[in-house]
Amino acid sequence: MSTATRRPRDTEFASGKGEVLLQASDVLMQFGGLTAVKDVNMTVHEGEIVGLIGPNGAGKTTFFNCLTGLYKPTSGEVRLAGEQIPPKPRKVVKAGMARTFQNIRLFGNMTALENVMVGTYCRTTSGVLTTVLRGPKFHREEKETRAKAQELLDFVGLGHTTELLARNLPYGDQRRLEVARALATDPKVVLLDEPTAGMNPQETQQASDLIFRIRDTGRAVVVIEHDMRFIFNLCDRVLCLVRGEVLVEGSPEQVQSDPRVIEAYIGTGDDDDFDDDDVQEGPA
Amino acid sequence: MNIPKITISPRPNVGKALLAGGAVLLIVAALLAWSYDSTILGDLSISGNPAPLQEFAIVMGVVGLIEAALVHRRLTSLSWWDTTSSARALAVGTLVYIVLIDYNIAYQSGGVINLDPGAWLALVGALVMVAGSFLLAPVKVTNQLKVHGANWLEIVVITATLAALLFMVAFILRGDDGGSVLAALAAGGTFGVLLFRGGFFTWLSVAAARHRPVIMLGALVVALLFPLTQNGTDANMSIAVDIAIFLCAALGLNIVVGLAGLLDLGYIAFLGTGAYVGAMMSSAASATIGWHPPFLVVALLGALTSAVLGLIIGSPTLRLSGDYLAIVTLAFGEIFHTAVNNMDGTNGPDLTHGPNGIAGIPDLNLFGFNFGSTHNLGSFTISNYSNYYILLVLVAALIITIFSRLNNSRIGRGWIAIREDERAAEAMGVNIFGLKILAFAGGAFLAGLAGTIQAHATPSVVPDNYTFQESSFLLAAVVLGGMGTVVGVALGATVLKLLPEKLRFIEDYRLLIFGLALVLMMRFRPEGLIASRRRQLEFHDEDENLADIVQEEHVDEQKANA
Amino acid sequence: MTQFIQQLLNGLTVGSLYALIAVGYTVVYGIVQLINFAHGEVFMIGAFGSLATWQVVCQKSTGLWVLPIMIVGGALCSVAIALVMERFAYRPLRNAPRLAPLITAIGISIALQRAIQLWYPGATSNVPYPSIDGVTGGSLTVGSVVIQRTTLFTLGVLVVSAAALYIFISRTRTGKAMVAVSQDPDTARLMGINVDRIIAAAFAMGAILAALAGVAQGLRDSNVSSTMGFLAGLKAFTAAVLGGIGNIQGAVAGGLVLGLIEAMATQYIPGQFGGNAWSDVYAFIVLILVLVFRPQGLFGARVVDRA
Ligand SMILES: Nc1ncnc2c1ncn2[C@@H]1O[C@H](COP(=O)(O)OP(=O)(O)OP(=O)(O)O)[C@@H](O)[C@H]1O
Ligand SMILES: [Mg+2]
Repeated sequence: MSTATRRPRDTEFASGKGEVLLQASDVLMQFGGLTAVKDVNMTVHEGEIVGLIGPNGAGKTTFFNCLTGLYKPTSGEVRLAGEQIPPKPRKVVKAGMARTFQNIRLFGNMTALENVMVGTYCRTTSGVLTTVLRGPKFHREEKETRAKAQELLDFVGLGHTTELLARNLPYGDQRRLEVARALATDPKVVLLDEPTAGMNPQETQQASDLIFRIRDTGRAVVVIEHDMRFIFNLCDRVLCLVRGEVLVEGSPEQVQSDPRVIEAYIGTGDDDDFDDDDVQEGPA
Repeated sequence: MNIPKITISPRPNVGKALLAGGAVLLIVAALLAWSYDSTILGDLSISGNPAPLQEFAIVMGVVGLIEAALVHRRLTSLSWWDTTSSARALAVGTLVYIVLIDYNIAYQSGGVINLDPGAWLALVGALVMVAGSFLLAPVKVTNQLKVHGANWLEIVVITATLAALLFMVAFILRGDDGGSVLAALAAGGTFGVLLFRGGFFTWLSVAAARHRPVIMLGALVVALLFPLTQNGTDANMSIAVDIAIFLCAALGLNIVVGLAGLLDLGYIAFLGTGAYVGAMMSSAASATIGWHPPFLVVALLGALTSAVLGLIIGSPTLRLSGDYLAIVTLAFGEIFHTAVNNMDGTNGPDLTHGPNGIAGIPDLNLFGFNFGSTHNLGSFTISNYSNYYILLVLVAALIITIFSRLNNSRIGRGWIAIREDERAAEAMGVNIFGLKILAFAGGAFLAGLAGTIQAHATPSVVPDNYTFQESSFLLAAVVLGGMGTVVGVALGATVLKLLPEKLRFIEDYRLLIFGLALVLMMRFRPEGLIASRRRQLEFHDEDENLADIVQEEHVDEQKANA
Repeated sequence: MTQFIQQLLNGLTVGSLYALIAVGYTVVYGIVQLINFAHGEVFMIGAFGSLATWQVVCQKSTGLWVLPIMIVGGALCSVAIALVMERFAYRPLRNAPRLAPLITAIGISIALQRAIQLWYPGATSNVPYPSIDGVTGGSLTVGSVVIQRTTLFTLGVLVVSAAALYIFISRTRTGKAMVAVSQDPDTARLMGINVDRIIAAAFAMGAILAALAGVAQGLRDSNVSSTMGFLAGLKAFTAAVLGGIGNIQGAVAGGLVLGLIEAMATQYIPGQFGGNAWSDVYAFIVLILVLVFRPQGLFGARVVDRA
């Protein structure tokens, strides 16, 4: 396994460094009376790793869902590379943003390779006629897809699992497979929802390594995590979300030392926060 | 359901002897008379001149002897064959077979008294075989998947299997009384279970995958040669045509249900659409459209009309949960039926002649080839229905090709992903709606195409051919045979259509049996008789063991093909 | 005007039947997201059960006193069938892919229809249903509008059932638990609600209402048939969708609306496409239109599926 480049320490956090890739403005998401995400703004630049932290039920996953079109935000807009993207998952992926899920959602009965190949769906074009007639284009594209998927499996360190069923993989491998599947969509921005949940320290280390390598391919990464050491080591910039609102935004150092963040986290044990806890999606 | 496990301490040597002894008794019995009455079950009354049903018994006996000989033998080339399990299957099947025949003889000739010695001896032989087989010790076999014979040998074996299947179908078709047919089914079932228990089919599935193109071609040739077994008579060929139409529709439905996972409960309406377009634009006296273009144009129009209807029904519902689609297709089936029933000039425009339908549709004429007349092929005669049969087999081959090419492609992977987790597939950029509508309208297109041929192949097109009942038969064929597999669905369609034709006495119970079979199938074997591995996994999501087995098979197969 | 009022009454009668059956679809769907496609057959069994009760228990008496007994007999049969299918056919499939319970439902539906045809004496065609003193027979005339007694009976059954249903849901433990489960099954489970029991209760409740509908329809048409459940079930499902599937009040309203649409369309659509021959088609066109323009139904359904 190659050693990844560390975060360039010589730069301040990256705002104004690369081009703006992702810009979410005033995203609001309400469920009936509950406001899960409240006027959140986030800007992500090329080659940047942004962290999203916050206590359970803060609205982090919901915010991802809004970005990727799984939820249609009550108001607000999301721009990718300057273009406004409609809240339709397929269009979002096509525009260049892909994600992983907090509670793994692989296609369990497909092999690892097939899972990744599904990710290439939106970048390939073989239609019915091509497929049924099996022209040269079909064979070429099929071969390329296969090669690309294998390459991505190797990239995330799952080269040996090609023909294994996704459901048979160990937990940590499943998380990495989800990353490979997301990368297969050729995203400009990758959204990772708790990529190290349930991992041991060694796997966590590999995960941050992987995220650096993804960044080094020129992509931007947004990571949700509860593991603070992981986040502060990894990210160029961190947003702390509390009850749907951005409480603090800044460099890891700034966020780390902000008393409000500490208070928000200590406050998680409080009753009123506990009520918000999402029953369906507790961390595994 | 817990069947108490019978534990018998194995006595291999005794078992072996009994198995062989029983088999010999059976063979001897088959050479004797079983009944004094020569009209029962195709004349079992002459000693020394075995009738077909007795010939089956001889084959069973011979196989029993071979099995007995294989006990204790360590033949490396057959180390994958499970002698004990297969011998038990053979013995039990033989017993069922003999009991069925004896019961039939006794029933028809007025009592057990009237069984001749041969019938008794056969029963004893079968019982002895059962006793012997259950005394055999269980054997450990090597993995059947890893068996890799010479290419030519594998192809010969597979072809022989296909031919045996064809022979069985032809035999059943020829049977003219329920008893013989049932007995023949029991014999076929016995050999089927024997091979299954022995591990033959496990090997066959992998070996067939290795020689796919050859096999497909072989199956096609076998199916095309089928009319030659009928000596130019049309009685069975008209049944075969019905089966072939049903098969085409079932294969089309298999794309919708088996690949895309969409439950279409009104699929027969698409066949009906094609049939009505074909009928209305034919040159029949009662055709209602004045334009009579050549058949190829009509076929295309029928298929397209069907597909457009599919789009109209599918586009609102496919965005919603799959249940809605199921109900709406059901409603569509009813709308179709009501509409063709009503458009008789009184309740609507006169397009379909209402309940009377459109009759007297002339035979097809494609490029000067008249489907209505007989043609000679060397010394063989190809009859009227045989012409249609051959055309329909070609259409079925077309549908199968489309099916398997779509299945192994980007589109097929998209469908699987949708079946697995629709939301995740969507979030990964799969065009859910497009893929669903493709399957749905594509399925409708193919059914429409088959329908236009049906219009010419059947005497008349009437509304009552296209009821919900027919749709549910189609669904039953797909589900019972095995969703997403060609072989399974072909088997399901053939069995479902053939049996009621030949076993008239089950006619009353047919629906009851199909209904219960659907329920039991979903409960105990939702993946169908011949399961697609993927489907099997999907229906047994909690079965980790199965997942391991399937994965091992898959990896082995990859290695074998590499 | 007379015409209109007459059709209004017709529509409400048919609509009441749809409503009664639709509740069964909606309650079960709300709780287990299962379209119990065989519910139409539960309705049919209810009708036949009441008929059998009349023949055997009530000794074919036509006095009004037999009516409650018939209803109870019919309800017992339909509840028994519903519980058996829930326990042995659906429950084992709760975690299976969606396709499985749907196919099971179709299987049950086909088998039940055929079983009645085979084993209920005379059920290969329509079986005459008794007239009961007081609820059938001589119609009333108000102005120039003719009101059948069965119309009044059917409407009465709906009103009483709706009231009982309301009380059941808002006052009883089981009823409240049912609503809780349909809103959030996981939380309900955590709160110690026995979900299996609630599901069975939902099936039973739907079956009782369906049996009432079966009796009402038998009295109205003076006959019942083994195939009566198929179309009625389909339309009741349409009614449930119309009202927003999962929404109980919606199902009742949806049934009435659908009945009215059908009656009015039969009366007022001119030309060849008007009239009874097409009335089924109108209902299904309504279904498709609702799904296109307002899939959550007129009154909104509960939202499921989180990412
Ligand atoms: N579809 C929905 N309907 C109603 N409420 C929802 C829905 N999705 C999320 N919520 C609510 O929104 C709030 C935010 O949930 P979210 O899952 O976004 O939190 P999170 O920050 O990801 O928490 P965790 O760290 O536990 O993953 C929770 O109170 C949750 O119950
Ligand atoms: Mg979350």
